Amino acid sequence: MVKSLKAPYHVSLMRHATSSSVRTGSSMGQKEETFAEIEAATPFLRRYARALCVGAGAAVANDLVQSAVERLCEQIRGAAVRPAGKEAARISAYRTLTEFAREALANELSGRLSPRQPAVAHALAELPFEERCCILLVALEGFGYEAAAEIAGVRRDVVLARITRARAAFSALDLKPEAPQDGVRRAGGHLRVVK
Amino acid sequence: MSARSSIDEADLHALVDNELSGDERRRVEDHLLEHPESAALVELWRRQNAALRAAFEPVARETPPLSLRNAALRNAAPGAPHIESGAIHWGRPSGSNRAPRRLSEARASRRARGFFATLAALIAGAAIAGAAVFLFTRGLGPGTPAAPALQGYVERAEIAFQTYVADPKIAEFDAAPREELLGALQTRLGLARVPDLSAAGFRLLGARVTPGVRGPAALVFYEKSAPNERIALYYERADALGGARLAPRLSRELTAVEWRAAGYAFVLIGPLGAEAIQQAAESAAAEILTGAGAIAP
Repeated sequence: MVKSLKAPYHVSLMRHATSSSVRTGSSMGQKEETFAEIEAATPFLRRYARALCVGAGAAVANDLVQSAVERLCEQIRGAAVRPAGKEAARISAYRTLTEFAREALANELSGRLSPRQPAVAHALAELPFEERCCILLVALEGFGYEAAAEIAGVRRDVVLARITRARAAFSALDLKPEAPQDGVRRAGGHLRVVK
Repeated sequence: MSARSSIDEADLHALVDNELSGDERRRVEDHLLEHPESAALVELWRRQNAALRAAFEPVARETPPLSLRNAALRNAAPGAPHIESGAIHWGRPSGSNRAPRRLSEARASRRARGFFATLAALIAGAAIAGAAVFLFTRGLGPGTPAAPALQGYVERAEIAFQTYVADPKIAEFDAAPREELLGALQTRLGLARVPDLSAAGFRLLGARVTPGVRGPAALVFYEKSAPNERIALYYERADALGGARLAPRLSRELTAVEWRAAGYAFVLIGPLGAEAIQQAAESAAAEILTGAGAIAP
């Protein structure tokens, strides 16, 4: 999972997909594998939750991740949820977390954002929850539209519409050109605007 | 220009989000070469993505809080039985929306706790300030300072005695070069008194400097010919306050006599009977008073 941080996002997702479709095993071994996958996804769930709860604070985000992970593991143990493969486990975790966040942030007053936070965080806090959720799933967490739709519980074109709105809202931001990161190649980074 | 008409904003989003593959991707990229306004849009969205990642990527790298470490594996501990269905999960009712409610409750209680903590801190501060005002307005009269009341010289002497009595090197300054011993005590404590207790049957072993109640203290060891009988004279510069104190609590086998002389507190301590130690203390006190201990015999 750490490795996928460095690789472009779509590459890591594809690797997950293939490995999960090939893998077969006993139901018990599969469960343990699922737990391990959720465990490995926890840092990224935290990242997503922090961005999702950008107006509510880090403590809320951590609480949400813990609640979501506990609930999901409980459901898996009780066989209420049976994710087939690693990628499905990851999607289930994000889905549970998103549901919890939707409920928790419904009666949460945002706007306590520190002025030290970057402009993009302020813009993110301004977005409606559903748009924030979709843009983060795709742009930050590297999910495809199909996976994001499954997590958000909507159709693919709804995801696309929300992403479009979110990006339109972001367009007011004065963003500097991306600084080349050390050795990390962005997906599709070979494409440059030539003047 | 059929390519242009078939490419819309959704395709541009799909390109940014790596939703396209192979031919489609190449088609959109070709489109960007011909349409700088689309290319600018794509570049802007990529910057947005990069800004989002830059803002939140550190979260994924930091060490998660204790509550989240092993959250999944902890729940799936190998010792826990894998109950498929029909089991009662004590303390873990499934199917209820307990977790989100618990979250809001936790937040509310955290706020309440914060409020009460602030209140408690204010009250504690007021109490401390009040106590300080009370003490200072009454003046530091005899018997008021806390330190000697908390631990007296006798307790201190007992600790020092117990610490060093069984030490293989009992004395820091040996008895033999007496001038050296007295000189060391004089420089370290400002008073050198090594009374001769041979009348009571005690031979001087040596002395050491040890932490006292308020500053350094001297601990002078004596030994009787019977090897287990060791006593010590403890002394330290005393404040000009005697004052009534609680009776020191000593361990059962030790007896101590405390007295004041020349601005110092003296304690003679050892595993002797009350009479024997009293006798030894009296002869020591007499010698100290006359200053005889300071003069080399």
